[in-house]
Amino acid sequence: MASSTPRPRPTEPDVAIVGAGLAALTAYAALRSGGLETGQVRVFGLDPDPAAAWRVRAGAIRQTHMRSESDGHCLPRTFPGLAVRDARTQRSLDPLIASVVDRYRPTVETFLAHVASVRRRTGWDESFTRRRVARVAATQGGFSVDDDGPFRRVLVATGHPGLHIPPELAGDPRVVHAYEPHEYASRVAVVGAGMAAATEWLNALAAGATVVSVRRREPVRLPLNLPRPMFSKRGLAAFHRSPPDERAALLKRFSAPSYPPGRAWDAPLAAANGEFRVGATPDDAKDAEQVICATGFERGYGHDHVLAGLVKEHGLETVNGWIVLDEDGAVPRLSSSGRTLALAGIHAQWAFPAADTLAGMRYIGHRFLRRCRTR
Amino acid sequence: MSYTLRGRIESRLAAMLAPLAAAGVASLAVDDWWPIELAALMLAVGLALDATLYHRVLAYQPGWLAVPLGALELVLVMAAARATDLHSPLGGALVLFVLSWLWTQVVGHAALPLLRDSYAEDGGELARGGAAAAAGAAAVLLAALSVAWVTAPPTVRLAAGVHQGPLVLDHEQELVGEPGAVVRGGIVIRADGVVVRDVAVVGGDHGIDVDLSENVVLDGVRVSGFAMDGIHARRSTVEIRGCTIRSPGGYTQGVDISFAAHLHMSVVEDCTITGGQEGIVTHSSTVVIQDNIVRRTALRGITMTEMSMGHIEDNTVLDALGVGIFCGDFSMCEADGNTVVGTRADRGSGDLTRAGVGLEAHYGAELTVGDNDVHGNPVPLAAFADASIRGG
Repeated sequence: MASSTPRPRPTEPDVAIVGAGLAALTAYAALRSGGLETGQVRVFGLDPDPAAAWRVRAGAIRQTHMRSESDGHCLPRTFPGLAVRDARTQRSLDPLIASVVDRYRPTVETFLAHVASVRRRTGWDESFTRRRVARVAATQGGFSVDDDGPFRRVLVATGHPGLHIPPELAGDPRVVHAYEPHEYASRVAVVGAGMAAATEWLNALAAGATVVSVRRREPVRLPLNLPRPMFSKRGLAAFHRSPPDERAALLKRFSAPSYPPGRAWDAPLAAANGEFRVGATPDDAKDAEQVICATGFERGYGHDHVLAGLVKEHGLETVNGWIVLDEDGAVPRLSSSGRTLALAGIHAQWAFPAADTLAGMRYIGHRFLRRCRTR
Repeated sequence: MSYTLRGRIESRLAAMLAPLAAAGVASLAVDDWWPIELAALMLAVGLALDATLYHRVLAYQPGWLAVPLGALELVLVMAAARATDLHSPLGGALVLFVLSWLWTQVVGHAALPLLRDSYAEDGGELARGGAAAAAGAAAVLLAALSVAWVTAPPTVRLAAGVHQGPLVLDHEQELVGEPGAVVRGGIVIRADGVVVRDVAVVGGDHGIDVDLSENVVLDGVRVSGFAMDGIHARRSTVEIRGCTIRSPGGYTQGVDISFAAHLHMSVVEDCTITGGQEGIVTHSSTVVIQDNIVRRTALRGITMTEMSMGHIEDNTVLDALGVGIFCGDFSMCEADGNTVVGTRADRGSGDLTRAGVGLEAHYGAELTVGDNDVHGNPVPLAAFADASIRGG
């Protein structure tokens, strides 16, 4: 069927990206670097600033530095990374030296300037269409995005579906999510044990609050979200070979909260004396004036209306909330030689466990480009 | 970076392409094979480490680790160069290694990630580029081998039997004697890089006459019946190993290396020299004389004189008349580990400096002695005419 469909002229949109965040920008940059014109790609989203959602979250937790390193950027090639760009801007070798010993963390300001630069240089705004997409569906010759299309290649990069609040705290007037703008009360409970929680411990202490860390388990200390081999074929090979139930278990294990090791995190807590303590249940938060939920995001395709619609309409295979994907992020049932539907960002973890990181977004971008070129 | 094994190997091959090619060009420029041999050794050591050590131990390799790993590879490459008898100058070898290492870092951290978008996430694998890199490296090495084969000096095999000399060798070549091959009338060498191996030489003014020739190797030659010197080298550098020289009567010398102070060091090693006036003698030359046996000489066993410099080590001098080991005329000699036994006084000469001296320094010479075994000599150690002896 696909072969009988006339191929669109190069200037007609052939590729759609649903979602307009960092995963979308990274994939878009890969497509543009791979030779696609701005007119060949359409990006559907609510805000033309690809960092809009991320900026609000980073601002809410007063994040100053990225967890990612020099190659945590939106461009298709890892070199030159942000350390090289920083070294050039600062006329200093310090960022390069820090990068060589894995101690380079770009500032949020550097990262946002980089995002703005990629947006400008790739012609992102020319491809952007402001729209909240309600439905993506397979049609003859590709996919429709609402009433647009058909597009032969579609990348769904809708991002995190929403902020997660533990059910036992839902409706509690003291509760605020870490990623929502907030100030600090004098007695604060921080629920969670990941990067946002650790940042909030320090923020609240710095604001003069007493802090209770409510967590079910001791935090894992990792420089990056995942062990480093998981960012390359070396670690991925075994992951890709694992059967579905084992892979789901691995993903659950990988999703355990963590934050980086180092004095910058430990020293303020050690100096806090009685101002910082650890609790294990929500009851430990009962004396708090404010409960900050650093509990991340809702998990699973079911919380995303576009993906939920695709699963329901086309009977896609799923495991424990993940849509089963090929190694390159494509949805097997909806991808063939004539068309591709792939996922990026958090929903692509079935293909790349760190898909919600910038390196993971780049991985999916490269693979999606390969599909656009070869299939 | 988390390399796969294939990624490590492909990245190394790609990064080493330019150094291999540059080493090939350098080999042609300096007319010596050590640069390409060393580059090939670097590649071999690197690949071996990739396969046996790095891949197993380093699931992730931070950037800084390149420095200690580079140092490890440097040590192993130098050890391998030594073990394989690769005669590379230390300075040149270090320069080649360091430049190659720097280049591979630039290629690995910048060029390959620029050329291949998914380089990092593919664990350093280069897909078709990897095969091309392997083919490229093989092509460079094959080209070097081809050039080496085409330009290698010819090997001439001397059949068993007597060949009438003098045999004149006036271009680079290797002359190899089959068992029973004899040259009567001497061999004359007038070209650099000549190798003479396993040949018996009988007669001639000099058994083997080397003049104005460098890097000459005389290996396993047997010389006898000559009129003046068994091996006579002038303004030349020679490596003489495993020779046997029987000096006839008259004023003959076993080995004479002279007037080569401006050239690299010569070596006389593992030779057995019997009879003649002097067993081994050097004039104005830099020479290492070691592990030889010299016996029954009529003037001196081993002589280093006329501002020569060198080491006289682990030799055995037996039954010399007058002097066993002699360092004379402002020469600077280091004698260590030698055995000098049974030197006899030359009473007929009436010369006190020839009163059966085991080790002698003479006329402004500086002789440094180590642990020598000197016994059965009327005078074990002596210095004359403003000469000095240190150590002992």
